[in-house]
Amino acid sequence: MKRKALALLLTMSTLAMTITGCAGAAAATAGADQNPGTEVSDDSQDAGTEDAAAPAGGTTIRLVNNKAEIDVGLHSLAKAYEEKTGITVEIDSIGGGQDTQAVLKNYYQAGNMPDIFVFEGDTHYETWKDVLTDLTGEAWTEDTEAEYVNGGKVYGFPTTTEAIGLTYNKAILDKAGIDPKSITGPESMRAAFEKLDSMKDELGLTSVVGYYTEAANLWWTAGQHLLGTYLDVGLARDDTTYIDLINDGGKLDMERAKPWAEMVALFNEYTDDNGVSGTYDDQIANFAAGKYAFVTQGSWIGAAMTGNYADQYAAAGNFEVGMIPYAFIEGQDTIQTNSPNWWGLYNEGNVEEAKAFIQWCSENDGGQEILAKECGCVSPFTSSTHMPEDPFAATISDYTAAGKTSAWHWQGWKEGLAQNVSAVIFQDFAKGSFKSTDEFLETLSKAIEAYYAQ
Amino acid sequence: MGEFSVMRKTASFGCLIAGLILMIWGLAMAIGKTGNTLRGGALVVGAVLFFAGLYLFPTFKHHRTIVNIIFLFPLLFAFAVTVIIPLVLGIGYSFTDWNGIKMKGFVGMANYTRMFKQPGFIWSILITFLFVVFNIILVNLVAFLLALLCTSKIKGLGFFRAAYFLPNLIGGIVLGYIWQFIFSNVITKFTTALFDARYSMLSETKTAFIGIVIVYVWQYAGYIMLIYITGLNTIPGDVLEASSIDGANATQTLFNIKIPMIAPTITICTFLTLTSAFKQFDVNLALTNGTGSVADFMGNYLTNGTEMLALNIYSTAVINNEYAFGEAKAVLFFIILAVVSIVQVRISNKREVEL
Repeated sequence: MKRKALALLLTMSTLAMTITGCAGAAAATAGADQNPGTEVSDDSQDAGTEDAAAPAGGTTIRLVNNKAEIDVGLHSLAKAYEEKTGITVEIDSIGGGQDTQAVLKNYYQAGNMPDIFVFEGDTHYETWKDVLTDLTGEAWTEDTEAEYVNGGKVYGFPTTTEAIGLTYNKAILDKAGIDPKSITGPESMRAAFEKLDSMKDELGLTSVVGYYTEAANLWWTAGQHLLGTYLDVGLARDDTTYIDLINDGGKLDMERAKPWAEMVALFNEYTDDNGVSGTYDDQIANFAAGKYAFVTQGSWIGAAMTGNYADQYAAAGNFEVGMIPYAFIEGQDTIQTNSPNWWGLYNEGNVEEAKAFIQWCSENDGGQEILAKECGCVSPFTSSTHMPEDPFAATISDYTAAGKTSAWHWQGWKEGLAQNVSAVIFQDFAKGSFKSTDEFLETLSKAIEAYYAQ
Repeated sequence: MGEFSVMRKTASFGCLIAGLILMIWGLAMAIGKTGNTLRGGALVVGAVLFFAGLYLFPTFKHHRTIVNIIFLFPLLFAFAVTVIIPLVLGIGYSFTDWNGIKMKGFVGMANYTRMFKQPGFIWSILITFLFVVFNIILVNLVAFLLALLCTSKIKGLGFFRAAYFLPNLIGGIVLGYIWQFIFSNVITKFTTALFDARYSMLSETKTAFIGIVIVYVWQYAGYIMLIYITGLNTIPGDVLEASSIDGANATQTLFNIKIPMIAPTITICTFLTLTSAFKQFDVNLALTNGTGSVADFMGNYLTNGTEMLALNIYSTAVINNEYAFGEAKAVLFFIILAVVSIVQVRISNKREVEL
């Protein structure tokens, strides 16, 4: 009898352990996410339990952010809001190279969708359109041009402004006697490149331009952003001619693409050989150290230059930076600015509280100060007076004030186009696999068409 | 069965019924999303009560079976949750247009026919097979040679064994990034100086493929070596001694004694290298991310020259956001792997019997 009792006890405890493991996890997923692969901040976990206890209490809103570097800033934003209104905002930052959209899908499947989440443009909109809240008519939409609009309705709240242009090192251009404003088209750009190239040793340059085409990790710089300049440079913000054309079975307009390809060829001619296999870090570190006069990266490198590469940047004299348009046709005078992502509201979450929170975030005496000072966001709101300490902040606001900006529309082409197709072709072009720009263009357009067809 | 007391019977049936009710209640709350925090507890207590009732079930004839089932249950449950259910669901999803969020409807075999119209995917299959062939030969050859070295009488044997095994302890992603640095920075310096090849070998499909093979052999040979060492050490000393008395030289001993004696080990090792090479993902992802161009394959300019099957499936699902299409490819992958493995094991087993 004793042995039987023991056996019973053992069986029970084994079972209890197995089942507790599973059931416990199931309960936890519904409350607070404990996905081991996800970087969840501490407080979001305790708060998640509260959430489970009072699902419709409405005192907690949860925000999923995809930029690990602004996690700290967002936490202080949440704290300020809680002090003001008593509403808790949890910040759930997914970073470190994780695919935010994939994690969000897991959240959605687990019934753990946040109230506010990030999405990046049209392709993501297609995924989430059934769960996004219509934000048309919110007060903040009057104050910005960067909100996400689809079919005449507002769905996304812009957080920051990033710019894509041909970034230059002003100190070097000054030394070479080149006025960046004089570069207005392909001829002046070539002339400037040639002049800089002839003075390379004098200026301490490795190469004129730091144009990187490595396709495994840096696919987004050439494959996405540089191909994106073909879509938008010089056009009005709402001009979607070329993205519509590409989405119509992958067509390129050769009349516009030809001069654009000539510009790419110019970059190939004057870039660093290391660009074919170099990393993002190489590119930024070399630019910060004053080894390139130009670099094919946008305003986001400002944070890295003053952060990770502050030593090189200081050694090179903390030079002034700026941007010129990628003017592949004479007279194109706009750089591309956009909100790189938007906050969308989950329509089954605490919509009203979330709406109030983003409204507060957009206000000059509300969240704008923390967003600018601690998250480094260049405000997309016209009423905001706060400016981040970023080398590119002035450039962006100058172009914006002058009305010389275009949007970017590459977020609307078929998913994976840059990573799977275009990046490699840029790399091949840089290596000299194509004999002419025509061959490059032909290959590119055929490959894009094939990608749309399959 | 009159031998059981009324109490035993009541306890058993009471437990069974209470357990069932509690479990159903807990599940209903979870499915209905009521947010009631008791749901987990109810499920656990219910399950424990149910099994207690099962254990106390008044029968002599089937008591042993019941105990067996109870002990097997945790394993079967875990296996079902992690393997069987996902497999069935995955096959189901492959016939739909699921995108990870929502499912609009069934598309029948459309995903399966579509994948064979993708030159990139067919290329992935071909290159995976090529990679597998290269790897089975190279990993086993290198591992066997290392094993011979590490069973000979050289000094510092322990050090060598540890050193060869060490790469296997580093994760594939980390290895990929380390080697990416070596290929792009170190080796490119040499090739620039020697052949005026200024660009990294990773930027060219053929050389990048060789790169992946090198890294993979480097990572995996140490592990297979350990298995060969075990095999070589199990060869009875008297056989070797007899052969040396008969005047066999080292080569004869190797080919006529050692290799036949470790045939089972060779089977295990080919099997291991075969399946793991097929499933190659992490080094591929970290080293080239599938990039590389193929100028003309089935009339297309391919840009996924080094993308193997597993990576192709991943990128279809996650990058291109076509989860169902990725599932369909994964089902095909599963079938290929299953067939190859079964054939391989069959052939090897036959050979062992003959020996």
